[in-house]
Amino acid sequence: MEASYVTRTGPPPGATFSAFERFFRENYATVVRIAHGVTGDAQAAQDVAQDVFVSAFRRFPDPDGAPEAAGWVRAAAAHTSLNAIRGERRRDRRQQECAAAPPPDSPEESVLAAESRAEVRRALQRLPRRSAAVLVLRHSGLSYAEVAEAMNVSVGHVGTMLRRAESALRKELQK
Amino acid sequence: MSHVPVPVLRRMQDEPLAVPDADRRHLAGCARCQDARRAAEADAAFAARVLGPPPADPDTSAEWQKLVARLRAPVPLPAGSRRPARDAARAPRRLPRRLAASLSTGTAVTAGVLLVGAAAAATLTTVYAPTHVAPVPVTGSDLSALQSITNLAQALTGGLSSRGPTTLPFGQVTWHAAGQARKVASLAEAQAQTGLTRLVPAQLPQGIGAVRGIIVQPQVTATLKFNANAGHGVGGSTLTVRGGPGVLVQFGGQPGQPAPGTLVVATMRRPVATSTGATANQLEDFLLDQPGVPPLLAQEIRMIGQSALPVPVPSGMTQENVTVGGSPAVLLHGPAGAASGVVWESGDGVVHAVAGLVTSADILNVARQLS
Repeated sequence: MEASYVTRTGPPPGATFSAFERFFRENYATVVRIAHGVTGDAQAAQDVAQDVFVSAFRRFPDPDGAPEAAGWVRAAAAHTSLNAIRGERRRDRRQQECAAAPPPDSPEESVLAAESRAEVRRALQRLPRRSAAVLVLRHSGLSYAEVAEAMNVSVGHVGTMLRRAESALRKELQK
Repeated sequence: MSHVPVPVLRRMQDEPLAVPDADRRHLAGCARCQDARRAAEADAAFAARVLGPPPADPDTSAEWQKLVARLRAPVPLPAGSRRPARDAARAPRRLPRRLAASLSTGTAVTAGVLLVGAAAAATLTTVYAPTHVAPVPVTGSDLSALQSITNLAQALTGGLSSRGPTTLPFGQVTWHAAGQARKVASLAEAQAQTGLTRLVPAQLPQGIGAVRGIIVQPQVTATLKFNANAGHGVGGSTLTVRGGPGVLVQFGGQPGQPAPGTLVVATMRRPVATSTGATANQLEDFLLDQPGVPPLLAQEIRMIGQSALPVPVPSGMTQENVTVGGSPAVLLHGPAGAASGVVWESGDGVVHAVAGLVTSADILNVARQLS
């Protein structure tokens, strides 16, 4: 067995960071918003975003020549964060945060408290994966066209998926 | 005019200018469509509330610097050393412990074997030779995600049964066995065919009777040939995982006992993985980049350590870390304490497993006689 030293994540030969930095700055906030919609935790969302962009760099070292890259990182943000909320550690932390929150004093806060963040995450896990993804993509502020690009569906189909997903989410939380 | 389609009613709330005028005119005079729109609006508003407000604007520049540091960081890794976790600053994550009933344990183990083999081969560039065991809570949800996207588990199960080539989305798996598993007449014969010793304990737990059967499993080899376009530099390379040979000895209960005890003792050569044509991190990156590989499963496998043989812990089983003959061992027992099992690797590269309808103390007593 030979001794070897490996570089885990270095850029491919000839690749530069400049094009990727532009891509990162244009898309980072969106990716964090999507991940936050799932995790409900700012730090966890930034962790997900870092992982997403590491993968994106490997796949699209020159994103200027890859028009699909933006849609890819958005979809990756949704799926990566949906996978991440299966971790018990984060879920437990969120539940503790919910338990420690002060009593709600407005109807809006009451709804949020009743449908605690942990319950929302569990409900997202119970939804079909594509339904959960379309929910968090749209409610992170993406347009229908952007959601369609990320989900690889027609713009018209986004409305269908979204309507079903929102109805299903409400039913899950009001069981 | 027909009623306004529900998706259009939903979009009207978000992007009203994208909705045709004809639909808007119809809506103004149609009570049914107005009701449908109100229902869609209520569900949308509910979703917006529970999904929470957006986070504060992140510090993009600081996050970019973190990313650059991560992309540039070389990790010197002498072959044979333990590999650090992908991001050492992040806390280890635990997998959820629910095992979906829809997936059999066999499928879980089979899928895990290749994933672990691939990850481990990547770790050591060319060779995976575990020196100890470690528990891995395998979850049905992780494997469901894996199966739904890559069909890997299903393909592997089929491959095991057919022993022939099985096509995966990124390559082809070929299973080859040096022979069929078969019963042999004596322990001496099993030893002669496999070279394995210490196959049974000198003293059996109370209630356990004579040997009922001895099965020899010849060495099994799984070869994964990546497609030429597999990406990450692994295209055209080959990953080979070899396991066995092994011996399984089954004991029956004693005559006259109200609940006949059952005990099995399995002994096998540790699995070894080799990789040709691709570097360590190319293989790992490829594996982790597969959309069907749940990140938590991949991270857990990586964090287990590159010299560890993961032992799947099914749902409902309690797991303890113990030692057998000075080697780390994973002890599993059921909720009622009636069934137990222990797995460990002895220092000579042999993996042992003892399981039965006996107590944990009895299982450990048997195990320590074999060490």
